Parts: sequence; structure tokens; C-alpha cells
Amino acid sequence: MKTAFRQLSALARLSLLELWRRHEVFAFMLLALALVVPLALARPFGASGASRYLDEVALLLVWAFSLSISLGAGSRLFPPEFESRTALPLFSRPLSRGRILVGKYLGGVLASWSALLFFYALFAASVALRGGAAATAAMFQAVLLHLLFAALAVALALLMSLVLSRGAALAFSGTLLAGMFFFGRDLPRYAEGAAAPVGWILRVIYAVAPHAEFFDMRQRLVHGWGAVDAAVVAAVAGYALVYAAVLLLLAKWALERRRV
Amino acid sequence: MTAAIELEGVTRAFGAVKAVDSLSLRVGRGTIFGFLGVNGAGKTTTIKMVLGLDRPTSGRIAVMGGDPADPATRRHIGYMPEIANYYPYLNAFELMDFYGGLCGLDRRTVRARAAELLERVGLAHAAKRPLRTYSKGMLQRAGIAQALLSDPELLVLDEPFTGLDPLARVGFRELLRELRDRGRTIFFSSHELGETELLCDGIAIMKAGRCVRQGAVKDLAGDGEGNLERLFLRVLASEGEEAGR
Repeated sequence: MKTAFRQLSALARLSLLELWRRHEVFAFMLLALALVVPLALARPFGASGASRYLDEVALLLVWAFSLSISLGAGSRLFPPEFESRTALPLFSRPLSRGRILVGKYLGGVLASWSALLFFYALFAASVALRGGAAATAAMFQAVLLHLLFAALAVALALLMSLVLSRGAALAFSGTLLAGMFFFGRDLPRYAEGAAAPVGWILRVIYAVAPHAEFFDMRQRLVHGWGAVDAAVVAAVAGYALVYAAVLLLLAKWALERRRV
Repeated sequence: MTAAIELEGVTRAFGAVKAVDSLSLRVGRGTIFGFLGVNGAGKTTTIKMVLGLDRPTSGRIAVMGGDPADPATRRHIGYMPEIANYYPYLNAFELMDFYGGLCGLDRRTVRARAAELLERVGLAHAAKRPLRTYSKGMLQRAGIAQALLSDPELLVLDEPFTGLDPLARVGFRELLRELRDRGRTIFFSSHELGETELLCDGIAIMKAGRCVRQGAVKDLAGDGEGNLERLFLRVLASEGEEAGR
């Protein structure tokens, strides 16, 4: 047990160090400072409608930045190991590939969570400075669901990076998640209106693709609609955990077949 | 006592190409064994199978009496790859910390071992510098240190002398002899016939996936500097002629 913990924490620490020592994450943080804070702080002409609109844009930027970081972190966990051949000393250690996968995944998730929490802290601080209520139950739920979504996004990018090139994995995962985020809830309606083959494809996508839109609580935060029922949050959390677990099982299968 | 490494009729085929063909090999414990051959002879493929990174198409491999695909068997193995690429954003201490964690060692043990080994390979002064600033020889020395971190019973080294300056080579040779004297087994592939002759108790010469000579150095090459090189060239030439007939 102790050995497993040491191995997992060593792998997770490596992924965290990699993310924080690469400069691209700081670019996102600077962008967040430059864009999210002014948007969340602004109260144009004292109009609450305009202020809500700016909050929505600020939260959309938080989603965009955190998705970029999650996908970047997930897709970078294994390809550089194979490209630079560090996979050889890594896989020759006394641990299974499954455990390597879990350790690296945990590191990727922790790395993207740390960036995500930074973005939400910036947003909440800006809203509080403006005189708004930031530490609400809805905000807590929004952050929790966003963290779960980030864990799912890392798992998807990880799996894709094991079966596609890193660039293709990023493009596929990004397009799928962004597509579902914006159009997921409308897919059944599109499917009904579409001709047979397209309609079928849309129905399959709706059934299989990860429902990013389930995790989106921006409207509730912006309009102050309050928290959702705890059972709904629990169901979405269960969905995220099961979905991520399935992706990781598939990734384990791919990694075990991968030649070093 | 079982051998450190035992291969029986091991074949590794990639489609129609046999990278390793019916290889049988026995490396006794507490010896230094040189695994020789030109490029593409099947040395690295064999090493990967010994490390459990690849499976033979047919045949049997036992390492320290166990299956190398089993992580428990790999607990006894230290490995240094041919190309010394490590995580460029880590420093040598962090690299040791990482690999120590993977071996299941506690951090206090890792830190003590890391300090001792980095001192031994001459990297103590650069231990806090990122690996991306290291020269090829320094990376090679970091590779030696990480391979020894868990004090393994079997050390598998792929081209360990590449990139080392003459002084570092002497130090490394002494280190390997010292490890053998402590009962450790060292199995290395190399193109450096001079180093192999100076160090090894046993050798195997590979050509096109097949083992063409195997035995004790003094039996195969006799006593005298440069004999192994002559043997190596003679063996490869004669095997070439036989193949041509």
C-alpha cells in the first residue's frame, strides 16, 4: 500500500512539475488577469444587465482557458515519454502500466485543477470587489462541477493521445468537448429535423459523447438563480466519474499494447 | 542458485523479420557480462525483453528467477538506457527523487542514496541544475546514478560508455568492478570492445539476431590486449562468409 502511494505520488508530482515549469500555463494566467478581472470588475453605467453580460463573458473565458489547460495537460502525459524515450526507464520500474497511467492521470488532473481554482479565485475576488456575492452555494456547485469536467477532459485527452498523434488528440478532444458544450443540449432537436443518416449520427453522438453542457452553471451564476438540487449535482458527478473511469480503462488497454 | 538472466530459444519477430532468433543465453550471478554486436544485431530488442518491456514471440526468459513482465521481478533490476534523455525540467536530485518514488523507496532513503550516488558519479556540484543544461556525458552519469538508486541485484546497461570522457570511464569501470565484488550482476551491451575486454567475465556476440559466440572472455579471446577486437572481427567475417555460401 505504502509502495503504491509512493509510486502514484511520484508520478503525480512529475506531471504537476511539468505543467508549472512550462511557461504556457502562465500565458493563460496572465490572459485571465488581463481579461477576466476587468470584465468581472466592470459595472458599465451601473447597469446590472450589462454587468451580467460581462460576467458571462468572463466565465466563458474561464471555461476556455481551463479547457485548454486540461486538454494540454492530458495530451502531454504520455507522448513526450515515447518521443524522448524516457518511457524506457519509466516502464522498466517495478510498477504496472496501469499504475503508471493512474499516477500520471492524477498529476494531470491536479495540475488542471490548480489552474482552474486560480481562475475561479480571480473571478470570485473580482465579483466580491465589485460588491457582488461570490461565496454562494451556486458558486460552490459551479466550481465542483467544473473540477469534475476538467477530470473528464484530462481523461479524454489522455486516451486520445495514446491512439492518435498529440496534435490530433488535442484537436479531436477540443472540438468534441467544445461542440458538446455549445450544442449538446440541442442535438436531439437537430437529430429530429435532419435526414436519416445525419439524424442517426447526431443521435449516436448524443448517446456516446461526453455531455460538457451538464457541467455548465454559468447562467445560474450570472443571473443569480441559486443552487440546483443536490441530487442533480450528485448525478452529474456520478456521470463524470463513470465516464472518466471508462476512458481510463480504454487508455490502460491502449497503453498496455503500446510498444516502447 | 538460478542464473541472473536465462534465455531459452528466444525469438522476437516483427512480421517476417526476426530481430532475435532462437537466442539462448545464461548470465551467472555476480558476473559482468558483455553483449556485443554491430548495429541492428538484436541487442536492444533482447534488452527490452530482459526488462519486460517487450515479450518474445517464442521461447522463455527468466530474470533473477522470475518473469520480467512481473513488476515484482523488476524490483531487482536497475536499467540505464542507451539514449540518456531524462525530464529536462527536473534537476538531478528531483530525477532521483522521482525514480526513487517509482521504486517504492521512502524519501529519506532516496535523498541519502541520491546524495551519495551523485557524488560518486561526479554530479554533486550540478545536482540542483536543470537537466536541460547538462552535457551528454553529464546526462550519461545521471543515468548511471538513477540505475543504481535502488541498489539492484542486476544492472542492465545499454551502451553505458557512450559520451563518457576518459576519466569518467575509468571511474565507471571501477564502480562496475566494485558492484561485481559486492555480488551484483552487470549485463551491458556495447560497441566498446576495449572496455568489454577489460571488464567482462563473459560475453556473447550477436549477429543478425543470432548469437554467434558465447563464453568466458579468456576462453574466447585469450589473454592479451586487443584480442577481443580481433575475435569480434574474425567472428563477424567468418559468419558473413558462411552466410554467403
